[in-house]
Amino acid sequence: MRRGKEKDLRRIMSRRGFVLAGAAVTMTGFLGARLYYLQVAQSSRYQRLSDRNQFDVRVVPPARGRLFDHKMRLVAGNAESFELRITPLYARNLQNTLDLLASIIELPEARKEYVIVTAKTLPSFREITVRDDLSQRELARLAVRSALLPGVSFGKSLRRIYPQGALTCHITGYVSPVTQREIENDKTLEILPTLGTGKTGVEYMFERNLRGLPGREKIEVNATGRPIKVLSDVPPAPGNDVQLSVDIGVQLHASERLRQGRWEQVTFGSHEVQAALASDAELQAHLAVGDDMILRDGNGRLVPAESGAAVVMDIHTGEIISLVSAPMFDPNLFTGKLLNRDWRRLNEHPRRPLLNRVTSGLYAPGSTFKMVVGLAALEAGVISENTEFFCKGDRELGDSIFHCWRKGGHGAMNIVSALEQSCDVYFYEIALKTGIQKIRDMALRLGLGTITGVDLPGEKSGIIPSHEWKLATKGVVWTPGETVVAGIGQGYVLTTPMQLAVMTARIANGKDAVVPSLLSTPNGVGRNFAPLDISESALAVICRGMSAVLYGGAGTANKYKLSKKYGGMAGKTGTVQVKRITLAQREKGIAKNIDRPWKERDHALFVAYAPLKNPRYAISVVVEHGGSGSSTAAPVARDILAKTIAERGLT
Amino acid sequence: MTFWRILFRMPWHILLIAAALVVVGALALYSASEGSWQPWAGRHALRGAVGVGVVLLMAFIDFKLVHRFSYILLIAALIVLAGLLVIGSGPNVSRWITIGGVSFQPSEPAKIAIIMALARYFDSQPQDRMQLLIVYLPALAIIAVPFLLVMKQPDLGTALMLLLGGLSVMFAAGLPWRYVGGATILALGAMPILWMTLHDYQKSRVMTFLNPEADVLGAGYQIIQSKIALGSGGLFGKGFLMGSQSQLDYLPEKQTDFVFTMIGEEFGLIGNLFILGLYLALSLSILRISYLVRSRFSQLTCMGISMMLFFYVFVNVAMVSGMLPVVGAPLPLISYGGTSMLTVFIGLGIVTSISIHDRQED
Repeated sequence: MRRGKEKDLRRIMSRRGFVLAGAAVTMTGFLGARLYYLQVAQSSRYQRLSDRNQFDVRVVPPARGRLFDHKMRLVAGNAESFELRITPLYARNLQNTLDLLASIIELPEARKEYVIVTAKTLPSFREITVRDDLSQRELARLAVRSALLPGVSFGKSLRRIYPQGALTCHITGYVSPVTQREIENDKTLEILPTLGTGKTGVEYMFERNLRGLPGREKIEVNATGRPIKVLSDVPPAPGNDVQLSVDIGVQLHASERLRQGRWEQVTFGSHEVQAALASDAELQAHLAVGDDMILRDGNGRLVPAESGAAVVMDIHTGEIISLVSAPMFDPNLFTGKLLNRDWRRLNEHPRRPLLNRVTSGLYAPGSTFKMVVGLAALEAGVISENTEFFCKGDRELGDSIFHCWRKGGHGAMNIVSALEQSCDVYFYEIALKTGIQKIRDMALRLGLGTITGVDLPGEKSGIIPSHEWKLATKGVVWTPGETVVAGIGQGYVLTTPMQLAVMTARIANGKDAVVPSLLSTPNGVGRNFAPLDISESALAVICRGMSAVLYGGAGTANKYKLSKKYGGMAGKTGTVQVKRITLAQREKGIAKNIDRPWKERDHALFVAYAPLKNPRYAISVVVEHGGSGSSTAAPVARDILAKTIAERGLT
Repeated sequence: MTFWRILFRMPWHILLIAAALVVVGALALYSASEGSWQPWAGRHALRGAVGVGVVLLMAFIDFKLVHRFSYILLIAALIVLAGLLVIGSGPNVSRWITIGGVSFQPSEPAKIAIIMALARYFDSQPQDRMQLLIVYLPALAIIAVPFLLVMKQPDLGTALMLLLGGLSVMFAAGLPWRYVGGATILALGAMPILWMTLHDYQKSRVMTFLNPEADVLGAGYQIIQSKIALGSGGLFGKGFLMGSQSQLDYLPEKQTDFVFTMIGEEFGLIGNLFILGLYLALSLSILRISYLVRSRFSQLTCMGISMMLFFYVFVNVAMVSGMLPVVGAPLPLISYGGTSMLTVFIGLGIVTSISIHDRQED
């Protein structure tokens, strides 16, 4: 009996042994399955995580290509700046440390948020950039408190600088931090958020060329973030340097000269200036964006510097020697963190300093358009050099009367004397005889009504009207009266100063349809232009007219001849009404420009080329509300041309 | 019994597997110290050699001696464990005892003491009473007292092992299935109570196990890094001394609890399965001896030691692969640690002694 029980129990225990063995095998099977899942099924995922642990891939930003002027003077370069980084592993409490930092330096809430979110996705020993572009002051304040800031360190980064500041602002444009929209279009920008991209000017146009390629450092790091060894190192490829055609010497002179206009500069410190500043909001606005010029006008009032545009180009190569749009701004404001205060000042400035007037400012060309009309008429055979019309002071057409600027009229005029004295009636006549279509055709061939293709963004094409244009945009047919008005460059006609310079360059060149460029082309090599294809004899007639503007006895600008030393010049004045003159005003006598409010004064224009024989440079000048083309714009153009020839020579 | 007969009956395969595991451990520790016998691998190999010596020595000891001392051993273990709680060596953790400059964890030999005490207890019970619940209540006490003492230390891993080892002896002794089922239900019901007795750090380990990604840099770090190391090892591993997770210190406790992970990173799934195979072979070999021996004491001791060893491995591997919370359980014979290794070898020595001196055919 007892033995039987013993057998029973032994059988039970044997069975239990098998159960335990089975359990052991099954559970080992579970372990094997789990390991298979981790080590085979999910292996690539964990491999990635392991790599992320093991390797710290640091992106090394490339140095952005520099910009130089024609004589290799630095226009845009890179300066080292300091950035603030934090290592969450060593920062005992990230939130507290960030709060403390925010009390020492400027640190927006959004940036703090970013650091905290980033810290959660990265191993804790990875450095995160908290702020870049620290000022010396911030750096000092942080350094003093560094003992209270565990895990905080400093690093170097690059920052764009424009050593010429405002002087070249409309040429260089500026670089500013990458925007979210740019990242959406170009994912590669995401890894280089601190570099910034060109937003306007040459910085924008040559962005791809200037940016360069980021380098990469793959560093093996241990769990405490200490680098063990550099595994691979792709050095960054710096962006290409660009040599611009601009000459800083000419640029400086041009900007001073344009902004001075015809008035006299006053010294800053005087009691009178301070008093005027306190009471004149517009003067204040100018000074607030860094303009340091105050003028005394003909009536003895203190006024801000003139605004407008001046552009000088080489008529053979198309190289732009100088490009000034006033007022100007300091592009260095944009490279780091643009302060709200500065942004507001620039945006609320009454004369819009951010607008590049050379390429985007639209002005009626006024009398500077008369060369176009004259060339169209000559080429169409409507007139010859000797064809005369009589100017009695106005021209009637139907019910309308079109006045000449000289009340008494000019008498008998041919094309040369009409240009010399800028007789309006003569051009009314030939415009009517030539027709708007042929005038438009000539304007387009000279570079008006279309973008010039200069290396700047946001260029405006202006308007050269035609029958079709009128019908399409206004919905009404073209009238002969509009042809009359277009004949003196008013009405619908709109051009940019850049286009006027191109027009002048093509007239002076005579052979090539020159296209402007901001790139330096040594010895003019490498640039080919389409033929201009305008009759040489017609061009010669027009050039004689332009020469008479300065050297003729009745020339509208004959007070502002360019010294013989520089070979003389030829040009054309333009005075553009911005406000319609009513019959009542005309009979009462038109108020002198200076007695009108600034906004209602005429624009002063002048286009010219120099020297007279074998011309080399063309210029166009627009002084906004500057009065008359002859008294304001002509001397500015003459002085800039003189400086251009002095700096760049004629060979 | 003659010397030659003892050698003839010696379960050489068990010794061979144990020695192989020690060698694997030495190599892993050599890698853990970035290719150096210092500070772990050399001592590990030395201890392994001593351990094999202990087994060989114990082969000559008659198992009846072991049988006689089983209760005394348990009482001694309980006294030491209780004493530890009073005079503990750490500020909050009292696992270690130091005698003459040598530190050891008394909870380790306690595991074997419990198994032998249970085996002896069941051996003494009449056959016909084995269906009664009352027989199993004193056995429960034998398990519960040391379990609670170790829990108090606190050492969740070892306590768990004590429990699992002890329960498997009760199961092997013939605990009727109805009680097995009842106990399982009861255990599940007791979980919330157990939860409340846990220390905060133990709770956080369990919570972290359930969702390691919630606390990447804190308690979840070990589990995540361990899974990364295992997973990135792939099928064949990164190669000896090439495990970046371990070599670059991402992997914590790589010389003790996470040594299996390190092997997995350097030798891949193949290496891991090889080791699991060795352990399974070891456990099954010991279990097989329980079929060859005569007394119930011998049978239960072998089964208990076999299962104890198996649970050691299971808990450790499940833990490092993220199937169980990090409770602190070494990998027998491979993890660095003298007490744990000596305990395993003593267990193997007892099995060896039993298999030589208490054969059925005698």
